[in-house]
Amino acid sequence: MKISLNWVGDYVDISDLSAEKIAELLSLHTAEVEGIESFGEGIRDVVVGHVVQCGQHPAADKLSLTMVEYGGEEPVPVVCGAPNVREGQKIAFAPVGSKLPGDLKIKKAKLRGEVSRGMICSERELEISEEHDGILELHQDAPVGERLIDFLGMKDSVLELDNKSLTHRPDLWGHYGFARELSVILNRPLSPLDLDVAWPRQEGSWKISLSDIEGCPQYGATEIDLGGIPGQAPTWMRNRLQAVEQRPVNDIVDITNYVLLEIGQPTHAFDASTLRGHAIEVRAAQEGESFTTLDEVERKLESDDLVISDGERAVALAGVMGGLDTEVTHNTTRILLESAVFHGTRIRRTAQRLALRSEASTRFEKSLDPAYTQQATARFCKLLLDIRPAAKVLSAPQVEGHSVAPEIVLQLDPVRTSELLGIEMDRPAMTGILENLGFSVEDQGQELAVTVPSWRATKDVSLAIDLVEEIGRIHGYNRIQAKPLNAPVAVPVQQPLRLLGRKLLARLVQSHGAFETQSYSFLDNNWADSLGLGRQDFVCIANPVHSEVELMRRDPIPSLLEQAVGNLRENPAGRLCELAKGYEPIAGELQPRERCWLAVVEWAGKDTPREGYESLFARLRGVSQDLMRSLDLLDKLRTSPVQPETPMPTWAHPVQSLEYHVGETLLGRSCRVHPRLQAAMEFDRADVGVLLLDLEALAKVAEQAEPKFHEPSKFPGIKVDIALALPEAVPYDEVVGAIRKFGGKFLDSLELFDVYTGPGLEEGQRSLAFRSLLRSPERTLSDKEERKFLKKMEQVAIELGGNLRS
Amino acid sequence: MRDRLEALCRDGIAAVAEAQSADALQDVEVQLLGRNGALTAQLKGLGKLSAEERPAAGKLANEVKQTLQKALEDRRAAIEKAELEEDLAGRGVDPTMPGAPMPVGGVHPVMAVARELEDLFGSMGYVVWDGPEIETEAHNFDNLNIPGDHPARESHDTIWMEDTPEDGRLCLRTHTSPVQVRALKQFGAPLRVVAPGRVFRQEAQDATHEHTFHQMEGLVVDKGIGVPHMLHAMNSMLEGIFGRKLETRLRPGFFPFVEPGFELDARCPFCKQGCKVCKGTTWIELMPGGLVHPNVLCAAGVDPETYSGFAFGLGLSRMAMLRYGIHDIRWMMSGDLRFLEQFSA
Repeated sequence: MKISLNWVGDYVDISDLSAEKIAELLSLHTAEVEGIESFGEGIRDVVVGHVVQCGQHPAADKLSLTMVEYGGEEPVPVVCGAPNVREGQKIAFAPVGSKLPGDLKIKKAKLRGEVSRGMICSERELEISEEHDGILELHQDAPVGERLIDFLGMKDSVLELDNKSLTHRPDLWGHYGFARELSVILNRPLSPLDLDVAWPRQEGSWKISLSDIEGCPQYGATEIDLGGIPGQAPTWMRNRLQAVEQRPVNDIVDITNYVLLEIGQPTHAFDASTLRGHAIEVRAAQEGESFTTLDEVERKLESDDLVISDGERAVALAGVMGGLDTEVTHNTTRILLESAVFHGTRIRRTAQRLALRSEASTRFEKSLDPAYTQQATARFCKLLLDIRPAAKVLSAPQVEGHSVAPEIVLQLDPVRTSELLGIEMDRPAMTGILENLGFSVEDQGQELAVTVPSWRATKDVSLAIDLVEEIGRIHGYNRIQAKPLNAPVAVPVQQPLRLLGRKLLARLVQSHGAFETQSYSFLDNNWADSLGLGRQDFVCIANPVHSEVELMRRDPIPSLLEQAVGNLRENPAGRLCELAKGYEPIAGELQPRERCWLAVVEWAGKDTPREGYESLFARLRGVSQDLMRSLDLLDKLRTSPVQPETPMPTWAHPVQSLEYHVGETLLGRSCRVHPRLQAAMEFDRADVGVLLLDLEALAKVAEQAEPKFHEPSKFPGIKVDIALALPEAVPYDEVVGAIRKFGGKFLDSLELFDVYTGPGLEEGQRSLAFRSLLRSPERTLSDKEERKFLKKMEQVAIELGGNLRS
Repeated sequence: MRDRLEALCRDGIAAVAEAQSADALQDVEVQLLGRNGALTAQLKGLGKLSAEERPAAGKLANEVKQTLQKALEDRRAAIEKAELEEDLAGRGVDPTMPGAPMPVGGVHPVMAVARELEDLFGSMGYVVWDGPEIETEAHNFDNLNIPGDHPARESHDTIWMEDTPEDGRLCLRTHTSPVQVRALKQFGAPLRVVAPGRVFRQEAQDATHEHTFHQMEGLVVDKGIGVPHMLHAMNSMLEGIFGRKLETRLRPGFFPFVEPGFELDARCPFCKQGCKVCKGTTWIELMPGGLVHPNVLCAAGVDPETYSGFAFGLGLSRMAMLRYGIHDIRWMMSGDLRFLEQFSA
């Protein structure tokens, strides 16, 4: 919202303060000022000129050749194309070197052979109006050489307020509200609005009926004879409207806008002769009723909308916009002025649905003080009669229904007020601030009884704490000194899942080169099918950000896969991880279950082995093991291929998949991504694997982990390399299990160091080479133990269908 | 015998002098003095000499041995010295070769800011707490004193879930503020808590707007809490993020769940006389906050006559953008490694 400081200055003296200072005061005490503009700045170089000679251009029919005097210097020749230029005129003149709006710089020019040293301006060129039929003709009294903005009284500073910081303040949607704020902040007197109208004794004869009392509890109508057709509003009024970017139309419409911008109360002028029934009915619209607003658009209405009818047909969309048929035109001579109370939320919904937010609807939706309606009627009539002495108010305002702001009296405890604000302030000072703001205060000894003024009582101030705010902000929040809290209440509680997530993530990032990412919680609807699930398995969004993206993800794998695909072009290999939530609907529960996941996605170029212990799949197993090790769970961890009967996520490769258990608790799985999904996602240049861990399950088992120190042996061990040539079908896990089982108590560590197939082995065999270490805590082992171990290994190899290679 | 010993000595010294490396010298030593070396072979011949000749020959053999040993030692020292000099001369060494590749990873910038603040507030006795992202209308709005007809509830601002009963609607939380009431219900008063997390708005994306972003809520409820405590907490937070004290100012701001409500501005940390970030004003709006509205305390079962509190909200995504100079918020949720790689662990 824009505020003209000239306008505010009508009601409070701010002439000694810069616009910057006023902006700062309002920002610190009332509402955020977003910017300051200088109205008239664009035409600051334009001066009053006098056309001392005017003749025909010798080479062009439509051009005139003039001499213009503009103060001090000699008159200059100017070529002018306007039909209305005449000798003796006072005009707006832009001399050579001056600037006009639109970054237009006036230079010396030659037009059809004649020199022109400046430009005589039209209103459009000056951005005063759209008028461009001819040049702007000034009053004969205009002093030659005076700056046009000074002569027209246009110089003004305009503040731009952040509307969002005004939503709770229905009193700040007009200039008068800001004048009141500044009068309190500066502790200067506030002049009253001039509402002095001599109302006729004659009572109005319009039949007003309110059939939707919720929508419109009070409606005022005043019939006025304009004493002629509409004309142009005076310059001062047009300047102010333009300063706050309200386009002047004609004096009648301009006055309604002026009142709206001054008080905050919208009014509407109907052309009384177009109303058919000599009646006004305010009613809910019929479902499907159509209505053409004055912007010439036909609107389909719904039953929640509110319309004004003249008894025969709708004539206005209440609080939003008037109708095309009944608006004030250049022929109007008699009006019916509406000033009414409308239901804020209903007006907002209508305006929003029809994408028709107007100055009026923006104000009505704030719940205005009902008392504004009478003020607005009076202010309109006062201004009208001042501007158009021939106009006549035909009847006293007719008011149907009755609406007033609630009367609110609040008990304020001054001691608590000081404590909450952290300021020292006595009772008279608090009382002073509140009274300046329009509250009335009665000191009751312990507490203050504070009555809220009607313009703050509609929704803004309803509790004592609201008064604390008033006192604090006027006093100045900036004067409050920071103070630390007292010592902590207790050792803070921690959420174990959060700690666990942080720990594992740090490990992934620092030890495994993973990059933490954040991915969206939403999934494209197609994912339901791809994941082998139905819509009922997901929490679904009623109003998604993008259509067809209605599913809330159950786990982060699909979103991470999408991010991986996005990276392929620039990064042929990478590892992303995310601590993320998944959402699962739970039958019979209102809120879905939110599960915390730790997910890793890794992709690598096609030259990475797909199998074997250098593959991406094996790397993810290595990552999992290290994460478990960091939680002291490695001893208890059971890693197993997925059993055929286990239900599997569709993104998992049926064979290259592992499940991780501790005891009976499933902690998560790692796998290569199913080749079909990989193809569908166009992972054509890479291979992809994922690791997904359930943090809740991990937290449960990690709680029971008991890290223990094992004293290293003082005796040297014996390193023995063994290679077992076995059928390929024997899984590695089984081989290691057997070695561990039969290796004897001295087998200390076992490490795979080579896998081989090829010459020297039988068809279908592979050789697994291990480095093993035999060691005793009590003595140095001898050749005897080594031979015994090798013998056992030979037996193991034979048991498993192969042999021990030498 | 004497001749042979002398020849051995002469040849030996020559061989030692010729050895160019420690290994070659080792071989020479074995040939001369080793168990099967030349000198040992000579010594074996001593037994065949007469008793008169033997002492002189023995003495000579011993002298030869000592001479050779001395020559070997000297040569060894010379070789070691030469090798050290060679190493230090660094011939053929390019010290500017790149470091060996190590696994590198990084944390997400928003998460980095969040975790630093968790630690900061944790050290000041705040609980770090989490709330659901799919939230009830009651928690996201009603409990926070947001009126039933408030525009924020409408579908152009809030993302609603499908198929929920009219009196139990679910939405994606539009702020971390619901954790205020949830934490108070869990722990009661007094309480100090921060709640970082993901929030959602029905928003079209552009450089400064995202439908998914991160916030951090702070709440303190105790007896005698006032604006000065809030100001201190906010200032501490900014000090934590920017690593130094910033000048701040409080001004009025409106949020239904606080009264009075504030906006905290800080002196622009990037300039002295106005820049793009502060839009030329030297102030940047950083954090909303206020004293907890009595209706919110009531909703949490805390008596507003006995207790008071403050709450503040911080846009974690925005803080990360300010701190790292990220001008387009869409990078945050992109998963693009070219973005993520720029943030270390």
